[in-house]
Amino acid sequence: MMPQLSRRDFIAGGALSLAASSLLSPHRAPAPAAHPAVSIVRQPAYTQDLYDAVRRSIALHNLNVRGRRVVLKPNLVEFDPARAINTHPMLVHAALEAFRALGAAGVSIAEGPGHRRATLDMAEAAGYFATIPDFEDIFTDLNLDEVSLVGLSNPHSTLNSLYLPHTALSCDLLVSMPKLKTHHWAGATVSMKNLFGVVPGGVYGWPKNILHWAGIPECVADLSAAFPHTFALVDGVIGMEGNGPIQGTAKQVGVIVAGPDLAAVDATCCRIMGIDPQRVQYLTLARSASDLKESAIPQRGEAICDVQTSFALLPQFESLRLMV
Amino acid sequence: MTNLDLYSSQNPDGGWPFRSRISCTEPTVLAALALAVSGGPKERYLRAIEWLRSVQRSDGGWPPMAGVAQSTWVTSLVLLLPSEHLGERQYRRGVDWLLGLQGEETSFYFRLRQRLQGRSTPREEMHSGWPFFPGTAAWVSPTATAILALRKNRHVAAAPRRIAEGQLFLLDRMCADGGWNHGSVRPLGIESESYPETTGLALLALQGLPPEQLRLSREAALRHFKTCHSAEASAWLRLALEAHGVPVPATSDMRTRDTRDTALRVLSETASGRRMLLL
Repeated sequence: MMPQLSRRDFIAGGALSLAASSLLSPHRAPAPAAHPAVSIVRQPAYTQDLYDAVRRSIALHNLNVRGRRVVLKPNLVEFDPARAINTHPMLVHAALEAFRALGAAGVSIAEGPGHRRATLDMAEAAGYFATIPDFEDIFTDLNLDEVSLVGLSNPHSTLNSLYLPHTALSCDLLVSMPKLKTHHWAGATVSMKNLFGVVPGGVYGWPKNILHWAGIPECVADLSAAFPHTFALVDGVIGMEGNGPIQGTAKQVGVIVAGPDLAAVDATCCRIMGIDPQRVQYLTLARSASDLKESAIPQRGEAICDVQTSFALLPQFESLRLMV
Repeated sequence: MTNLDLYSSQNPDGGWPFRSRISCTEPTVLAALALAVSGGPKERYLRAIEWLRSVQRSDGGWPPMAGVAQSTWVTSLVLLLPSEHLGERQYRRGVDWLLGLQGEETSFYFRLRQRLQGRSTPREEMHSGWPFFPGTAAWVSPTATAILALRKNRHVAAAPRRIAEGQLFLLDRMCADGGWNHGSVRPLGIESESYPETTGLALLALQGLPPEQLRLSREAALRHFKTCHSAEASAWLRLALEAHGVPVPATSDMRTRDTRDTALRVLSETASGRRMLLL
């Protein structure tokens, strides 16, 4: 039987070559003492100026990644590049260039899709190969990565541990890069739910059904707590409304939302979509009601009210609608 | 990856990785089968068998990779290998593990809990299939793979019943277009689209059913075959269509990404490979 590791054990055990263990916060991530800000930058289309918008988004947070290993985790779900399902490859390329320019020791891309197994074929069809030079050399399929069993302390779900991929466990900064979408089970899927993609399909299957049996909102909160060194960079240029995350309709929003606290970023994204974050279960598990208040989350860049656009919701999620 | 790369990418421990580093059960089984049908070096095949024998778990099943303390659906794949090569006793323990596994949604306790809560059993949960991971629901791929494995073991008492149940499971999970996705046909009442790879795998596992019953599925498979983007999907669709008597081009120029893709292509493009999987 393989011993269970906490993320701290994994890194302290030598899997990480850089001396990053001092950066680790406790496994169960509490709300940060000083609330980190969330930024909203306007970007109306997937055009060349998106590269500048991503640089500005990251700059608003004074992120120090010099000498650090950064892993970008987009949301890659389907082959079809035309529908607003996947994180747009241009946003991922822009983030790659921005973190390299900031002096990161290494920037790689990793994802473990939930339904389809041919990850590289899907990335090619979705435009990643064409947009990102040497994509195949810097990409890791998290579904097929080496894994370690990581203990979840005080989990919300019924899971006590999960096998998690070394690429995600050993990086210094995991950048969750979701598409801004509604979700037919969770209400909304943004940077926290995007972490389902780090759970290895090679162990748990396609779909990663163990997360459904253990409780979807609870697992979203547990996974988020298992990766304390994260940053969110949300593709809100074109989102998806209605029956997301796959069968919904494209929704023009025109924003990039970013920040180091995934729950705060997701709360802001919910408000942009017209969803009350205090009614989204995984957010209420991750943060107290007071931490999710709009007034508790410092905003930079655009104001929420200036970019807010009400997303169509499935009837069962109308109760999540933000009252204004 | 070429066939030659397939031989040279074997790890020193005898197993194969998907792309690099750690040996995993799925690519090791498929590479070993591909070696066997393509006349590859026997010594490499025997080392693969030894690796597989070494990672079998005490419960009889196989883990997806060394270091994972859990038997999973990949056990079905191992059982596609000749029993005499793995060792009859070890092989039979694998069959027993597989026969003891079913989707959690059809387990006695889950059904009892549902009944006590006044919930009826949905149509797609009437028949039991196989999960990827014990304690979770059954899905199309592991069910189809288990059927392929048990077809080689029809002499085992419980196998014919589980094969029949598994085939009913697959028929219940057929999408409106005649193909299959991972196994979610109508989430929230909205029809889902089928995928190429799961359509191929499921149709392959339904070989032997009346042809008329699968007319729509053959059409869906052929449609997918002409447009699919992956070597994996192309291989499973080729195997399925040929098994159902639908002619397809002899070879594919689809790019293979890893050991599994390359091995599947070898198996689907050689007569002995097809026989190996369709027995």
